[in-house]
Amino acid sequence: MSLLNSSHTPQLVTTDGEIIPDGWTLLADEETTGVDGPYVLGFDRALKELDGLNGHYGIRVNPGDDVRLLLPFIEKITLIEVSFPGYRDGRGYSTARILREEGYTGAIRAVGDVLRDQLFLMLRCGFSEFLVKDKDPVQAIAAAKSRFSVFYQGAADTNRPVWALRHTVES
Amino acid sequence: MYVYDSFDHAFVRDRNAEFADQVARRLSGELSEDQFKPLRLMNGLYLQLHAYMLRIAVPYGVLSSKQVRKLAHIARTYDRDFGHFTTRQNLQFNWIKLADTPKILEELAEVEMHALQTSGNCIRNTTTDQFAGAARDEHEDPRPWAELIRQWSSNHPEFTFLPRKFKIAITGADRDRAAVRVHDIGLHAKPEGFDLYVGGGLGRTPSLGHRIKTGLKGEQLLSYLEACLRVYNRYGRRDNSYKARIKILVAALGPDEYARQVEEEWESLDKAAIDAPAAEIVRIRSFFPDPDFKDAKFDRVAYERAQTADKAFARWVKNNTLAHKRDDHVSVTISLKPVGLPPGDASSAQMDVMADVAEQYAYSELRVSHEQNVILPHVPKADLYALYTRLDAANLSTANGGKITDMIACPGLDYCSLANARSIPLAQDISQRFADANLTDKIGDLQIKISGCINACGHHHVGHIGILGVDKQGIEFYQILLGGRADENAALGVITGKGLPAEAVPAAIERVVQLYLQLRTSDSERFIDAVERLGRNTFAEALHEPA
Repeated sequence: MSLLNSSHTPQLVTTDGEIIPDGWTLLADEETTGVDGPYVLGFDRALKELDGLNGHYGIRVNPGDDVRLLLPFIEKITLIEVSFPGYRDGRGYSTARILREEGYTGAIRAVGDVLRDQLFLMLRCGFSEFLVKDKDPVQAIAAAKSRFSVFYQGAADTNRPVWALRHTVES
Repeated sequence: MYVYDSFDHAFVRDRNAEFADQVARRLSGELSEDQFKPLRLMNGLYLQLHAYMLRIAVPYGVLSSKQVRKLAHIARTYDRDFGHFTTRQNLQFNWIKLADTPKILEELAEVEMHALQTSGNCIRNTTTDQFAGAARDEHEDPRPWAELIRQWSSNHPEFTFLPRKFKIAITGADRDRAAVRVHDIGLHAKPEGFDLYVGGGLGRTPSLGHRIKTGLKGEQLLSYLEACLRVYNRYGRRDNSYKARIKILVAALGPDEYARQVEEEWESLDKAAIDAPAAEIVRIRSFFPDPDFKDAKFDRVAYERAQTADKAFARWVKNNTLAHKRDDHVSVTISLKPVGLPPGDASSAQMDVMADVAEQYAYSELRVSHEQNVILPHVPKADLYALYTRLDAANLSTANGGKITDMIACPGLDYCSLANARSIPLAQDISQRFADANLTDKIGDLQIKISGCINACGHHHVGHIGILGVDKQGIEFYQILLGGRADENAALGVITGKGLPAEAVPAAIERVVQLYLQLRTSDSERFIDAVERLGRNTFAEALHEPA
């Protein structure tokens, strides 16, 4: 939420704090899928065409899109880009959680207005990559991971909710 | 009451450290006010007309003597020696310096308090019956459930950027003192499980909640709430903040369709990963036992003699105490509505007195009511006169519980940057007009609720008489509503005719009240009953009669 940082060129960083190159190309809806992918398709186009396509694709999911509609094609999808047109729009958090609940194991990438103060929430909701606007994305990820030691609810990450820690079953 | 364990302490510590860092960035100029705004709001810090306002969370309105002493200390040290109790059962400090906030939060953490999620588009403080655990008509103590919800909703990763704020209320008694039908979600605990209401609210589009679920088991409460919130988070409107509350979504879909989507979502959730196990519910419940009730000998003769000898005490007992589940105890309302003073305010000295008397006579337990009073839920009748004497000496013995001068009023234009009109001075004028104790008692139960703008923080839609401040070309006017109520027969008041200037309002209300006194069938027909029997129009005419 720190807008100062938003002036920085976005960099792609993983949950592990690695800066990675973006090998994907976002296709406009009128562009044909050639052989030199990998491509990111728009959501509506993906619904229409994925059935007839072979290979693996990335899909761009906007806040109003119902990500469950992609589930029939999920084995053809290795990247979901969840867009945040503004950081106040929290629909993308539900999108990521639904994907993880449905067993999707590919990459979930946060793109758009992605700022350091949101990363901790995104990590919990199952995002794995962040196109983040920050002067130091590696430090931003490290800070997001160490900020809290206590989590009150189960989510898509491996942190156990407090109630599970309070009532650990001895095995 | 609930006691933090090491996890709860660590959570607040982590959150305060984060906020201290954000304040430091703001003070150094690294963050502008615009950039800082969403961060401070998540910590209950508002920039009001004249200063920063810090809203302290009082989870479900429950406080200990130790905590109230800390609040008094904060008022004395960092504010202008008073605090303001709110309709969300919270406490606000109106004159805070930004640089002091990390220190204040640190002091609050020492007594297991914080200011988290008292603002922002997240799940807010869950409110409940101020007489929980004490009232005779209660069948389920709502406090453990409110605590369970508090923990689940703290820093919820999916629901921190909702379309708009989200308020949950819960009751476990026959009489609904928590106004569950005017909340985003209202829960009514019944022997067979929870009734769940959704889409109630006040503000610009007032509406009563729809019951979409009955018999919901407590063990599945969190997963069901998660499903309710997820449907709202995904489909609630975000294009217009005035249409973003869940009531608008529920109205657009229809309650049945919303309920169907929730059920579908609930079925898809991994409930076991969300719902706390039975052992956790047992653990939380264990913090809310009955106090160690004193079996002090209750001398009924002496009690009645004191009331005969001291009429003011007798009146206070009649108006400000409620039957307790034990015959030898009562629940006491400490009115923060003395005639002519701002509703809900208490000085630091008064807070100290309330903390002291609670410790001495009421098992160290206090509550904040959404009517902006302080409640002592368990007081032995044997100690009542001694308690009254102490309160009286601190100007805390106003005997107007539930009466016409026990008004709710928002801070209004004196403090709030959203307000169109003043609320507090009007409340003061009305209470002056009805200062006569005999008149107040004759009128009986009558709730006046005042909001300084259509955001309705003063709950004007559910006042028996509601007053809404509006701005017409730079002049404050007040619209009067009649017939609202927030109890188990909840109804929304209706606006009656044209707005009135501030100086005409007290006389208009007096005319309505005089008409009621003429028309009522007996002393036991309350104002709201008479309005429902005779219709609002009967009374609306009196409001607008030329003075």
